[in-house]
Amino acid sequence: MDPSWRIVPLAALAFAPASYATEYLTVEAAQRAAFPEASAFVPASLALDEDARAKLAAVARPPGARTPRVWRAMAREKQLGTFYADAVIGRQEYIGFALAVDTSGRVLRLDVLEYRETHGWEIRNERWRSQFVGKSATDPVEVSRDIANISGATLSCRHVTDGVRRLLALDAILARR
Amino acid sequence: MIARAEVWLGTLVEIALPDADASDACFAAAFEAIAHVHQKMTAHDPASDLARIAREAHLRTIVVDAHTHAVLELALMLARETQGAFDPTVAAAPERVGGASTSMHDSRAAGAFAASIILERNHRVRTTAPLALDLGGIAKGYAVDRAVAALVASGAGGGVVNAGGDLRAFGTAGWMPVRIRHPADPALAAHVFDIRDTAAATSADYFRLGGALLDPRLNALRMFGASVTVVAPSCALADALTKVVAVDPAHAPETLARHRAHAFRLEPSDNAVRATATCAASTSHLRFAA
Repeated sequence: MDPSWRIVPLAALAFAPASYATEYLTVEAAQRAAFPEASAFVPASLALDEDARAKLAAVARPPGARTPRVWRAMAREKQLGTFYADAVIGRQEYIGFALAVDTSGRVLRLDVLEYRETHGWEIRNERWRSQFVGKSATDPVEVSRDIANISGATLSCRHVTDGVRRLLALDAILARR
Repeated sequence: MIARAEVWLGTLVEIALPDADASDACFAAAFEAIAHVHQKMTAHDPASDLARIAREAHLRTIVVDAHTHAVLELALMLARETQGAFDPTVAAAPERVGGASTSMHDSRAAGAFAASIILERNHRVRTTAPLALDLGGIAKGYAVDRAVAALVASGAGGGVVNAGGDLRAFGTAGWMPVRIRHPADPALAAHVFDIRDTAAATSADYFRLGGALLDPRLNALRMFGASVTVVAPSCALADALTKVVAVDPAHAPETLARHRAHAFRLEPSDNAVRATATCAASTSHLRFAA
């Protein structure tokens, strides 16, 4: 070995699941940030017919995409826009996000609500899952403080972009544009 | 700490501030700085500085954003110091720059970047041949540095900015633990050291088939198995130096020392961490995990 490199005298190199969850904004906080002048957020139901479903699936179907939650942002009787909360899985991470759209279908704001490391692996990877067997609340499954400073491997947020595209298509369907 | 995240530079950019500093204005200023770097240095937008360089700089001198110029200056300095071990020219993956043609692909040879880019005063750039650049990692690190500067200017006393593993801690954030992914199993991470008032970045090829790193001198992607983490005074430097270590581990310590940087290689073969020999177990910016 090259003399300019030496082995670091660490007691033990303890690898643990890179699992952690961070909530950046609650849905309510993101709603207030997107529509500060709104007086109410009225939940809207998503009753999509076959036609609309097929149209959406053709636009984008990022992994992990579920049925988004939808609210109408109202200032008294007037609708200011629509607020969506949705989630996608990136390479291996679960990302909850919110999209605020005005009444003409333009994006007002995109917020990341929540991030959960290794969620995707959790689903796919049996070996990864099995290492949790027998763990309890007293085990140090999460090592870091509030923020897990995990260095390495750029996350791919491509699926967030797909998710936004899908919500914009949904918005157009709901508004019959 | 209160954290916010936005999607920039193809990754999740996370900013965490101590509760007392976590104002909307601070977060907004930092994300604004990151958005600016994204817009100027993305390879995917035809209006970005990189796309303009690829399209026009071999035909006429162009004026780029001050920050693009600063990143190019750093890239050129490192390319010269490392005899081409650092080289942001796109070669094996020209599709990463929008509109890059095969002629750009062909134009690349060892040391092409340092030989063909000319940086002039007042943020002017020209190239002697069509040049497709991918500032990816170094621009991501630079964006982290800009965000920290914006936070300080907005009055934040401390915080952490993490752009997909390119991270920097400052001020009252104090010692922040850094965990590094296992090179063979990225679902696992180990706490290797803590940093304070400094930056860290890691390069590895966990998620890309055929290797993530381009060896500029072989003009080929290589799998190197290990991961490389660099701790350096700036995040742009930390990210760029990971590539230098991965490509040329024998000569890298000299370059690292010149920039007051330290490198760590995680070798999955023996599960050991190797550090540059000049790296003390504890300094004012870095300490090994107990």
